[in-house]
Amino acid sequence: MGLLEDIYNDVVGGKVDDAGKGVERALDSGIEAGDILKKSLTSAMDLVGEKFGEGEMFIPQVVWSAKAMQAGMDLLKPHFSVSQQSDRAKIIIGTTKGDLHDIGKNLVAIMLEGAGFEVFDLGVDVEPETFVEKALRENGDIIALSSLLTTTMLSMKDVVTLTKEKGLSSTKVVIGGAPVDMAFCKEIGADAYGIDAMDAVRKVRDLLE
Amino acid sequence: METFTNRHCTPRYRLLDESQILRIHHSVLRILDEIGVRINHKEAIDLLVSHGGKVKDGDIVQIPSFLVEEAIASAPSNLIIYNRRKEPVMELGGRRIYFGTGTDLIKTIDLKTREIRDTKADDVIASTIISDAMPNIDFIGSYGLPKDIKPGLHYVRCFQLEVENSIKPVFFTAESKKDLRIILDMAEVIAGDMDELSRYPFLINYSEPVSPLTHSKEALEKLIYCARNRIPINYTPALLSGSTGPVTLAGALSVAVAEALSGLVIHQLVNKGAPIISGVAATSMDMLHATPSYTSPGFRLTHSAYADLFHYYNLPIWGTAGCSDAQFPDLQVGAEYSFTIFNAALDGTNLIHDCGYMGQGFIAAPEMIIFANEIIDMVKQYMKGFDIDEEHIALDVIKNVGPGGHFMQEKHTLDFFMKEHWRPAFFNRENLPNWIKKGKKTINEKLIEEALNILKTHKPEPVSKENKAELDKIWGDLTRMNRKS
Repeated sequence: MGLLEDIYNDVVGGKVDDAGKGVERALDSGIEAGDILKKSLTSAMDLVGEKFGEGEMFIPQVVWSAKAMQAGMDLLKPHFSVSQQSDRAKIIIGTTKGDLHDIGKNLVAIMLEGAGFEVFDLGVDVEPETFVEKALRENGDIIALSSLLTTTMLSMKDVVTLTKEKGLSSTKVVIGGAPVDMAFCKEIGADAYGIDAMDAVRKVRDLLE
Repeated sequence: METFTNRHCTPRYRLLDESQILRIHHSVLRILDEIGVRINHKEAIDLLVSHGGKVKDGDIVQIPSFLVEEAIASAPSNLIIYNRRKEPVMELGGRRIYFGTGTDLIKTIDLKTREIRDTKADDVIASTIISDAMPNIDFIGSYGLPKDIKPGLHYVRCFQLEVENSIKPVFFTAESKKDLRIILDMAEVIAGDMDELSRYPFLINYSEPVSPLTHSKEALEKLIYCARNRIPINYTPALLSGSTGPVTLAGALSVAVAEALSGLVIHQLVNKGAPIISGVAATSMDMLHATPSYTSPGFRLTHSAYADLFHYYNLPIWGTAGCSDAQFPDLQVGAEYSFTIFNAALDGTNLIHDCGYMGQGFIAAPEMIIFANEIIDMVKQYMKGFDIDEEHIALDVIKNVGPGGHFMQEKHTLDFFMKEHWRPAFFNRENLPNWIKKGKKTINEKLIEEALNILKTHKPEPVSKENKAELDKIWGDLTRMNRKS
């Protein structure tokens, strides 16, 4: 239990190198990759998310915890079976067409990665078609859309329409950003709205259950 | 090699240049030498006369300039104040700033009922416990003046309650030499004896001359007693510009400084090198309501001006901030607390009192001490300035991120975010949906909650059982004597 606990603490403490070494040691000692993931990496990020929500951790610290988690994850990947690999939900994320503001989107991407999801960040000013194509290619579970401007938030509706047209019935659309709210989410037929980065992670988890 | 570059920048401010300082100083010297001050104390008059002062009209004494300049030279430029455990906690001198509450507010806004009622002894305990818990409150005043304790006894009781509920230094008032001596008896219990008390003072008496240009018998008795025993005293006038002082700021300033310096002369003649904190308050008389404004721009200008003057004298300086003229914790309080605390910090006054004051020196609201603490915290961060060097300019980090990237993942961000940026404890920085979700709380509600929480959970370090018994005995004897007389 000591090894797993060390990794857990290193992830919470944002110690990237130590977390990686810990995962190597755990693998060497014969602990299952799935156990390391669940008992150390994801449970540590659960605590980080909780602490951030309570105002006990700050964004840069969360970022470094996520990095530590990612370092451990990279080492675990080769040890996962095919079914374990596909267990990780895939999220396509980006800022909507016409919008170059990406700090909110970046923060959400960091939090989602930290929560253990596989995140494909398409960047800024992304065409609706690009989101949908990527979702088709990667078999994405979630498309996450961000926008800061009232002009660019309208493009979110195009993404929702397009997912339906292309038959992506199981792919859910999550939206967020300053001008967006729950009413708009319902209006355009999106599946969920995240108030902030932590809430986005929560909503994604709810949708995947 | 880079030369002549200061790698740290901090806000700097002064109001008067050297020629303006001298202009005021010379006017002050002329007031003292040509007009003189009224002194209602025989011993003090004799002392001044024996050193070159001249009596005019019985109790008015003209003080020659050399006595003033000798007193400025002989008074200590730096005072170390200790806590109850004899640990140094304030170094009053230079531009070091320390904040604390004031004394003697007769009304209190009840934390639970929000009613404005008479202050009680329990309120003194409450404000002391809250002040003890606040990291930016460096010294403790009684804050309230309890109506449920008899006049003549209430200052003694306040002192006892403050000492019992905080280890921080106590800034206290006394009615006369009589209760001052009892307060010092109590302080001796804590310190061991008078020598130890004056070696490790954890208290500062606050006494005032009466404007214009008058020293009362009671004030001088306290001044002389403190000087003799080398107990720190804060001897500062509270002049009202437009009524007890000239309406012009330069005139008000000159009269008030003359009052402070004449007190300094007497103090230093009694005992050279005895500890004293000096300064003035030249509040503005509101000509519509006949009330003193603690926060007017005029008052703040004289605050900056006397700070420059006393920095020039190289003496420990008293200051006033974190106070409001408003009767209830509203927007005005926020504006006035911020304005005055920022101003006092820039002025570099050392012993800044009245934090948490409301209603022009009449009304207490304990949660406002927490509010003042928050603003002091913000202002202190501003006063720290920032570093300008390779590591802080961070060209390599900027290059690494490049145009269009972001800095949240950088080690540089992790390393410096705590130090470079301030985080409030109570100011609202929530986003709108979260703020609504959490119940749309205003800062007023959060402060009251915190005050009640502190009173429930914060346990100040108590005085020892033996000391407590001795303090209780002094108080018991005093109340018995008072009942007989």
